[in-house]
Amino acid sequence: MPGTTIVEDIGLIIEDIGRGGGKGPPAGGDDGGDGGGKRRWPHTPSSRRYATAIILGILSIVMFFMAMASAFIFLRATSSRWVPLRLPSIIWFNTLVLLLSSGAMGLARRRLALADVRQFRRLWSVATALGILFLLGQLAAWRQFVLAGFYVATNQASSFFYIFTGLHGLHLFGGICALLYVSFRKFERAKVSRSVAAEVASYYWHFMDGLWLFLLALLYLGK
Amino acid sequence: MVTYDNSGGSAPEAPAPGFLARTLFNTGHKVIGQRYLWLALGSVLLGMLLSLLMRIHLVWPAVQIPFLSSFGAAPERYTALTILHGSLMVFLVLTTAPQAGFGNYFLPLQIGAREMAFPSMNLFSFWATAASLVVMTSAFFVHRDAGLTLWTASVSLFCFAALLTSLNFAVTTLDLRASGMTLPRMPLTVWAWFINALLSILIFSILLAACVFLLSDRLLGSQFFSPLTLLSHEPASLVQNTLLSLWQRLFWFFAQAEVYVAMLPCFGIVLHVLSTFSRNRVWAERVAVLALCGVGIFGFCIWGQHMFSSGLNPWSPLVFSLLASSLGLPACVLVLSWFGTLWNAKIQLNTAMLFALGFVSLFLGGGVSGIVLARNDLAAVSISDEFVTGHFHLVMGVAATFAILGALFFWFPKIFARRLNETLGKLHFWLTFAGVYCVFMPMHWLGLMAHSRAPGVDISTVALLVTSLRALVTAATILTVVAQTLFLFNFVWSFWRGDQTEVRNPWRATTLEWSVSSPPPIDNFGASDPVIYRGAYDFIPEAALEDFVPQNVVPPLVERASQPKQETSAGTIES
Repeated sequence: MPGTTIVEDIGLIIEDIGRGGGKGPPAGGDDGGDGGGKRRWPHTPSSRRYATAIILGILSIVMFFMAMASAFIFLRATSSRWVPLRLPSIIWFNTLVLLLSSGAMGLARRRLALADVRQFRRLWSVATALGILFLLGQLAAWRQFVLAGFYVATNQASSFFYIFTGLHGLHLFGGICALLYVSFRKFERAKVSRSVAAEVASYYWHFMDGLWLFLLALLYLGK
Repeated sequence: MVTYDNSGGSAPEAPAPGFLARTLFNTGHKVIGQRYLWLALGSVLLGMLLSLLMRIHLVWPAVQIPFLSSFGAAPERYTALTILHGSLMVFLVLTTAPQAGFGNYFLPLQIGAREMAFPSMNLFSFWATAASLVVMTSAFFVHRDAGLTLWTASVSLFCFAALLTSLNFAVTTLDLRASGMTLPRMPLTVWAWFINALLSILIFSILLAACVFLLSDRLLGSQFFSPLTLLSHEPASLVQNTLLSLWQRLFWFFAQAEVYVAMLPCFGIVLHVLSTFSRNRVWAERVAVLALCGVGIFGFCIWGQHMFSSGLNPWSPLVFSLLASSLGLPACVLVLSWFGTLWNAKIQLNTAMLFALGFVSLFLGGGVSGIVLARNDLAAVSISDEFVTGHFHLVMGVAATFAILGALFFWFPKIFARRLNETLGKLHFWLTFAGVYCVFMPMHWLGLMAHSRAPGVDISTVALLVTSLRALVTAATILTVVAQTLFLFNFVWSFWRGDQTEVRNPWRATTLEWSVSSPPPIDNFGASDPVIYRGAYDFIPEAALEDFVPQNVVPPLVERASQPKQETSAGTIES
């Protein structure tokens, strides 16, 4: 090849090893099916992409709720007719339910790591059921709030209460769908393995948990 | 160079896709990328037409335009015209074409992947973007209130689609690179798309949140931006300031960074094209990558630059002004890198290169006035809207359009296996280049004149000058728009009748997309996955004949060291 020296080539080879987009060292143009990191046609990209995607997605959702939180803080600080908010009492119960759900999911994944699929399924179903219970509890909280005479348009604080709980609930609903997917999918035929799906779903689920704690703290402290 | 042949490998027999799977629900990244480009082409033509209407209305308000007159001449029609022009151009042209259009087509090809990370999600994003274009345009035709609600809904939809697209881009770049495609070896286009995707992931959710607030205000009666809660006790000015500034903060947090979302892929494309046609390595390539990151980071922090006159804390304009000025640093590095690449090079002045050079000129010409706008003391006092309009049209709108056109001339042979006509292309370039300077430079002067209240200056002379300058701008706009028919003709003609290019690599470029046939096969690389052995810009200016080494050429030492069973004839050398 013109213009390159042996030294450069060696440099290139050293640079190659183990750094090639995580796909193993470069092989020539051969078609030997020697396993080690080589993919066969049709090509299936590494399942790492699911975890990467959920992490970036979480980043984006964080920005979404940060914009909302900053609007909350801004209006709280500048509006002189801010009516303090009394959170409906059931919301504390809901919070406990969601925390338990996250805990159950942690235990479930530990069972899966031990290849105990039966126990995993049971714990995973508990986590899903608790998640659904949380959503129903949030609806009950809305009901309590309405009975107390607070609607979306009543004042700024109540607007924020509804939009925070509503949007968090919407995101959580997506999480429940993911949990149900992990429960009911026949992974023998799926592109993704059960452990990867459970891992990705659990990232999102724990994040939903943390996000709720943040929003609750904001609503409670900023009332 | 090593070529990838799709005939060699026997692919497992997949069932032939049905009609819907081939058309509406085609998840192929090249198909989707091409559709984004068609979408952007339609939007840019519509947007250009709208700008023409605005200019005509501005200079000859009495002229009856059949299309507009039927809507009545209420001031809000003109505002609606401006909103539609702006949203079409910013969202569906500048954001869509360089990233979603060329990016979807060439990102997997350049990194050696066969598909985007999530093809179905990609398809969904495309149709959501298309739907947002339809809703956005239809918002123009309905009543004002309903129109604004529709517009907000369509922007939310666009944001959601853009978020999914950028997620897809970032994951594809991180996890789907071919073996050997290390980060330092990625082409600068890929770097730009990647950084842009990360920036988009962060900012489009901000605009989405703002739009959700606005929709909730309009539909549910919540009170995020509504003056109801403040009105009774406080003076109107305070109400205005507080509520407006909340929207302004959220909006500009997005919108200032959006400028860089439009520009970043263009920086990448221009660096790529400049390097290829000056047959030279990108000067200080790694520093240029850092500069791209710097543009992303600084662009994220300077939203307050738009709010100097909106009652911020008195110290914050200073901070924002400093941050905005420091954006000049990565910009300077990029400019240096462009010139360093061109320095002493054997430049090939074809149309793609001309458009890339035009980008450099417009970016510099428009960017200089940005320094004035970044000064909080000057910008608020002495400059009116037209200066700003001139500035951002040159530096963002037109410069990015030049990069898009350059990319189109560059990649047209790969996408359609035909070349665009060079003579028509050059004519189109020079007419457009002269035209846009005649449109947007006088706008700077108009913006400065609006505040010329020096003693002894006769106001009527100024007014006369302003009127004639406005007429000049409108005349130049008409000529520039007419010049675009040259491009349209060239595009349509070359699409059907252009010179067919048999060779895979007509520009003698180094990156991976040129190693496959044109147009690329459905699975991009046929039977064997590509392997990368070197950086993206391995040009050898000293060499007389073979002055470039494609990224996938096997270095001699590796070839010798590899197992003897490997067939060396699998890779053929092609000039």
